[in-house]
This record gives sequence, structure tokens and C-alpha cells, in this order.
Amino acid sequence: MLLAERVSYRYRAGDRLVVDDVSLTVAAGDLVGILGPNGSGKTTLLKMLSGTLAPSSGAITFDRRPLTDWKRRDLARRIALVPQETHAPFDFTVLDIVLMGRFPHLGTFALEGPADLTIAQQALASTGTSAFEQRPFATLSGGEKQRVVIASALAQSPELLLLDEPTASLDLGHQLDVELLLAGLNRDRGVTMVLSTHDLNLAAALCRQLILLRDGRVIAQGPTDEVLTPAAVRALYGVEADVHRHPVAGHLTVTPLARVP
Amino acid sequence: MPGIRTRLALTITGFGLLLIAALATGPLIGSTHISLARVFDRSIPFADNADAQIFFIARLPRVLAAALVGAALAAAGVVFQALLRNPLATPDTLGVSSGAALGAMLAITFHFNFAVLGIASIPLASFAGSIGALGIVYALASARRRGLSSIVLLLAGVTMTAFFQALILFTQYLADFADTFRTVRWLMGTLDVGSYAPILAALPIVLVAFGMLATLPRSLDLISLGADAAAARGVNVLAAERLALASASLATGAAVSLAGPVGFIGLVVPHLVRLVVGSDHRLVLPASALFGAAFLIACDAVARTIWSSGELPVGIVTALIGGPFFLWLLVRK
Amino acid sequence: MKRILLVLLLMAAPAAAQTAPQRIVSLIPAVTEMIYAMGDGARVAAVSTYDHFPADVARLPRVGGLLDPSVERILAIHPDLVIVYATQKELIERLDRAGIPYFNYQHKALADIMTTIRALGARIGSAARADAVAAGMDRSLAEIRAKTAGLPHPATLLVFERDPASLRNVYASGGYGFLHDMLEIAGGRNVFAGVKQQAVQASTEMLISSKPEVIIELLYGDNLTRTDPAKEIRAWEAVPSVPAVRSRRISALTGDEFVVPGPRVVDATRKLAHTLHPDVFP
Repeated sequence: MLLAERVSYRYRAGDRLVVDDVSLTVAAGDLVGILGPNGSGKTTLLKMLSGTLAPSSGAITFDRRPLTDWKRRDLARRIALVPQETHAPFDFTVLDIVLMGRFPHLGTFALEGPADLTIAQQALASTGTSAFEQRPFATLSGGEKQRVVIASALAQSPELLLLDEPTASLDLGHQLDVELLLAGLNRDRGVTMVLSTHDLNLAAALCRQLILLRDGRVIAQGPTDEVLTPAAVRALYGVEADVHRHPVAGHLTVTPLARVP
Repeated sequence: MPGIRTRLALTITGFGLLLIAALATGPLIGSTHISLARVFDRSIPFADNADAQIFFIARLPRVLAAALVGAALAAAGVVFQALLRNPLATPDTLGVSSGAALGAMLAITFHFNFAVLGIASIPLASFAGSIGALGIVYALASARRRGLSSIVLLLAGVTMTAFFQALILFTQYLADFADTFRTVRWLMGTLDVGSYAPILAALPIVLVAFGMLATLPRSLDLISLGADAAAARGVNVLAAERLALASASLATGAAVSLAGPVGFIGLVVPHLVRLVVGSDHRLVLPASALFGAAFLIACDAVARTIWSSGELPVGIVTALIGGPFFLWLLVRK
Repeated sequence: MKRILLVLLLMAAPAAAQTAPQRIVSLIPAVTEMIYAMGDGARVAAVSTYDHFPADVARLPRVGGLLDPSVERILAIHPDLVIVYATQKELIERLDRAGIPYFNYQHKALADIMTTIRALGARIGSAARADAVAAGMDRSLAEIRAKTAGLPHPATLLVFERDPASLRNVYASGGYGFLHDMLEIAGGRNVFAGVKQQAVQASTEMLISSKPEVIIELLYGDNLTRTDPAKEIRAWEAVPSVPAVRSRRISALTGDEFVVPGPRVVDATRKLAHTLHPDVFP
């Protein structure tokens, strides 16, 4: 579905590369995690994958067509981006926010009709936020907001969901909510996902494939079980960690032990 | 909650009727008593009919000017607030209004006395000042690598406003007593245009601005949640921001050239409208234009009747209403 | 011995204060004209930026005006009397500190001009000449008033300011002030006599509803440079129902004697009278 070939990005000629020679393949139904410390280029990579940032070199294709060939709106009907934080300066209601996801399907002048409303309400239902429909977005908690923003992305009826640090500012309970939500969407609705995170355990719990990014370069990529090793954690974070499968949860967990000098 | 289609129809109808009511009653209000029968009595030659002259020369132009200026400033206010992602932004925030004021100050102080296409020098210089300010702010804000960063835009605007204000003060200092007085009065705003020519001069600019604004509302909704998110949804963010800046500045420049800097319309009207229709810009923008027109017609009616020995500049009335309202808004949050 | 000297010095001080001032700085054009009218122009050492009359003042140094008096320049003249506006509080404070005497001027109605001339005369030691000037002015004005008393006083709009080539920002004389007084003496009835202000900003509606039979526009100072008389009179055609416009009784009078409340108000009043009643005042 989505193919990135040797993409790199630098802000200005002469700057250092923020993303350096990254290649990745996302097939339909995949749940891919881009893992790395802050400043490793995750967000930049995600923006390039969504088509909002043009790579300085390399190519990205979606559905076998280069991103540059796609019209913005057509691409937005297939790919949705969930940013790390959403701040609403105006008093939009939750429904207002979710209905904005219909924009790629409607355009500048068309107004949402009953079909769009239904899609929006289904999106709210699938993220467990139906009760908030008429509430002002700004009054929700961090976790609730994040779920609403995911609903808004789902309202775009995308095949591919890109999420930038979806649980970064959430507490444990809300983290779990989002984790389960995303796992469910991938499993039951077949939504392909690529998410970026610096949380090793989230990546281990959720993603079947991982790309480890450090200073913009890939240091390992592949199935989670193969890629997430103590050596990888050491290379990525400079931390000596224990990695093993959790007996109850069933997925890998990473426990930091010591700082590597 | 009914869908957007119903709400849009209701909004336009409701505020439209309000504006029609204001347009109909505005010319009837004034310090002199006139009789409608006499106004429309065709048998009396116009040159002899004082009532008709008051209606058509003194009052009707004012009401139309109020409608145009009110609509332009309110719409500009909505767009600037969206562009800067800040509900406290006004048409004055980016220095466009100060640029217009500086243009007028220079024309008054240095006694510009030229007319182009029948437009007098003060409104002309004022409009030129607003476009100049727009150009400078735009150049400053685009100097960064891409896009119109709203923070840089805001800083550029605030800086330009301060700079223009300093120039305005300096110009006032250079002016002789009479001119200083005239500039101070101009700064208070007045809708007493006395003829249709200035309105007809400003109208095309405002219409062009409104035409540009018409494509923006949904994009503004999306951009207000974040430029990256909007771009990912298919909005051409840079084009939309440029269009927003240009159209709102044109509307502001035309309005200030016509009536001087009438304050608080661009700030208060969008807020009042949002209390009624919500935050969707597809509703807020047309409603603000319609309500802004009606509101300024009302303010002008107050300005010319509240004081028995003359008239209050309309900018004072809008400030006296807008200031306390704005305080209330802040306290309520 | 020292004590006697001290007493002598103290006695001398008031005597010194009685000597007529020889280096007068006048910040007020009207007062400058008054001093010259009394024949004491030689004693004026500096004037304001806005002084233009009489011609002699052209060679005098300038020290600023109402809003921007330059204390430095004033002190550099070493004046022994400074004529200031009563509202120039900071300047007065500084003059106090420097020990320089000053004369407080207040701008009021027509009759106050003569009162001021007399007070000023007393202050600068020219009481007799000042009285003569004031008395002469009183006589002349009374003559004019007597001649116009029996005549019909047409409703008059006296405009002293407006935007060029349009009827925006029209300022006319209200019911207070020397412009109003001059108009009444000259045989006109101020349409805004009922407005208790010196200046009235007349909206278009007020212009139409006040129905003046005569419109007199005063042009002075910079206003003179930007007027094409024909174009300016045409500006009034925007309100054709006004009687003065219909009968074309619109006049422009030029000269700053109309706006300087000094000895030349007599000339100004005469010119107004000529405009209003040309057959009686040729």
C-alpha cells in the first residue's frame, strides 16, 4: 500500500539530515510502529508519509502512485493523520471536530448531509465518545480529546491511519484506552496503521512491525519480536534493558535496568 | 441539533432580516424630524425638499456606509481571528488599520489635495497606507522558509502597529493646531459621508474582498485546528492563509478609508455571533457580515441622536459598547 | 552695616519689579498684535511659531506655540516678561522656577479682547496707550452694531474649517466665542447660536436642517494654499435645498484677522458686515 524508498529530509541546503535514507513498506492491514527517542525524525517521517511534507530526496508511493501524483484531496480520502496534539482556539463541539473529517469527501462548498452525519456518529461510537457529541471540545480531558481526534480521522473513512505519538500526553488509563481502540480498529475493521512513539512498551504491545529510528537513520526494522532486542534498546536509548515476553499480556515488555556509559 | 444545511439557512435568513430591518429604520432616525410622506412626495422639486434632502443626502448614505463598513470590519475580524488562531485578534492586530490611519494622517497634515477617479485624497492615502502595511507584514511573515507562521504574523503585525502608531504621533506633532485637531477627530471615526461617491468607491473593493473570503470558511475551520492536520485533509494551507490575509486586509483598508478606524466591530461582532450560531466559520462568517452591518447602523443611529447639540463620533459609541462587552467576555471565561 | 544693605536691597526689589518689561516674549499671536497696536512693538523680543502680523515679526526669533513651547529658547532670550496661555501649566512652572515673570492669557469672547488689552497695557507699563486702543475698538464696534441694528439679520452659517472639496468635517461657529460675537455685531444671525460651544461640528443633516440664508467660509493660514475657490463653492451644491446655496449667497473671506482675537477683529467685523450688508458697508 505505502512504500517509502530511501527518503531523506533536510530543512535547508547545508543543514543536517533530519531523516536519513529511510525505506519502509506498509502492506494493507499492517500495524507499524516508528520507534525512537525525541528528535529522531519520527514526526518528520510521518509528515512525509502523509504527503504534507515533500522529501528532500527519495520517493514515496501510495497505491503504486507517487505521492506527488496524487491530488491533495484524493490522498486525504485514503490517508488520515492524527497529530500529536490538537488545540481548538474556538469553541467547536466534538461533533464539529469530527465532521471536519468529512472535508476531503465534500470539498470547499459542499455541506455535510445526513450520510456524513451518520459516518461521524459511527466514528464517535467506535472510539467510545458518542456521549460527548455536543460538548465543547475544549472541556474534554486529554484522553477524551485524543479519542475524539481519532474519531475525526476515522470520519475521513481512510484506509491508512497515521498517528503521531498517540499516547504521549496521556495517563495510564487513557493510554490503555487508546491502545485497545487502535488494536481493535486494526483487527476488526482492517484499518492499516503507522504510528510513531518513543514508548517502547506501547510499541511492543501494539505494533507487529517496528522501525527503529535514531538521528534520522534506521538502525533496525522488521517484525517486533525480531527487532526489539536489548541490543536495539541499547543502541536507541543508551539504556541497558531486559526484554522478554510478558506471561499475562502476551507481548514483549521492556524494563530499563541501567544507563550505559 | 439540526444539520449544517438547516442552520445555514436559518442563520442567513435570521440575520438577513435583521439587516433589512436596520436598513429600513436607520434613515428614519435622526435629530431632525422629517415626514416620510414629504420625503417621497414627487411633486416637490428635490432642490426645495429639505426632508427629502435630509433623507437622501444626510441619512441614507450614512446608513449604507454603516452597513458596508460594519460588514467589512466584522468579516475581517472573523478572518483575522481564524488566521491568527486567536479569538482576541481584530482587524487592528496586524497593523492594517494603523497603516490606513497613518495614510490619512499624512494626507491631513501635509494637505494632500489630489483626487483620482473622483476619490478624495484622504481616503485614497488611507487605503494606500493599509495596502502598504499589508505588504510589509506579509513580507515579514513570509521571510521564513515556508508558510505564513501565525506567530511570526502576529509579531510582525504588533510591531508594525506600534511603529505606525509612533509615526502617527510624530505626524500629529508636526501638524499645526488645526490639523492636529482634524486628525484626532478623524481617528474617532465618522460615517457622515454626505454623498454616495465614497461608498461607491469603497464598494468594489469590499465586494472583491468578500468574493475572496467566500472560499475560505471551511478551510479556516480546519486550519484553526492546526496547519499540518489541515494540510493532511486536503487544504492548501499556504494559499488559504494568503487569501485570508489579503481579503481581510482589503476589506479593512476599504472600511477604514471610508469611515476612519471604527473600533471594536471586528472584535465584538464575531463573538456575539458565535454565542448564537456556534463556531463553524461557514455560519460565523456570513452571520458576522450581516450582523456587523446591522450593528453599526444601530451604533450610528445612537451616535447621531444621543447628544442634543451635535453628534458623537461613531467610534466612541462602538468603543463604549464594545469595551464593557469585551470585559464581560473575559470575566465570563 | 550688613543689615542696612539688606533692607535697602529688599526695598529695591519691588521697585525693580515696577520697571516696564523691555524684553517681552509672546506666545500668543493675538497678544503680539495687541502689543504692536499699543506702539510697543520694539519691546517684543521673540514670538510664537504662528505669528504672522505685523510684518515686523518676520525677523524675530520663534519659540514654539501652545502645544510645543521651547523652554530653552525662551530662556535663551533672557526675557523679563513671557505671555503664556493660562493652560500651559508646565511652562508656567518652569518660568516660576527660573524667576521669570509671566502674564496669563485666556481666550474668551469678543468683549474680553478689550479687557485683555487694558490688562496687558497695565502690565507692560503702557496703560494709557492700551486704553486708547481698547476704547477705539469699542467705539468702532459700537458704530458697526448701531448701523446693523435696524437691518434684518439673515440666518448665517459661519464656517471656519472643513475638508477640501467636500462637506465632510464642517466646523462652524457655535453660540460662544468671538466669532459668534463678531457675526452678531456685523448683522448676522448665527444658525448655531443655540449651541453653547465655540465650535460645532456640523453633520450634513445639521447643515440641511439649519437652513442658513448666508454661508460665510473663513480661509486662513494653510487653508489658503489648497483652495480653488470655484471648486470649493461647488462643494456646497451637495445640499441644494439650503437657502444660501439656492440664492448663491456663499462667500469666502480670507485672512487671519478673522481667527486672531486681537485688534484686527474690528477689520474682520467690518468685512463680515460688508459681506452681509454690502449696501450699508461698501
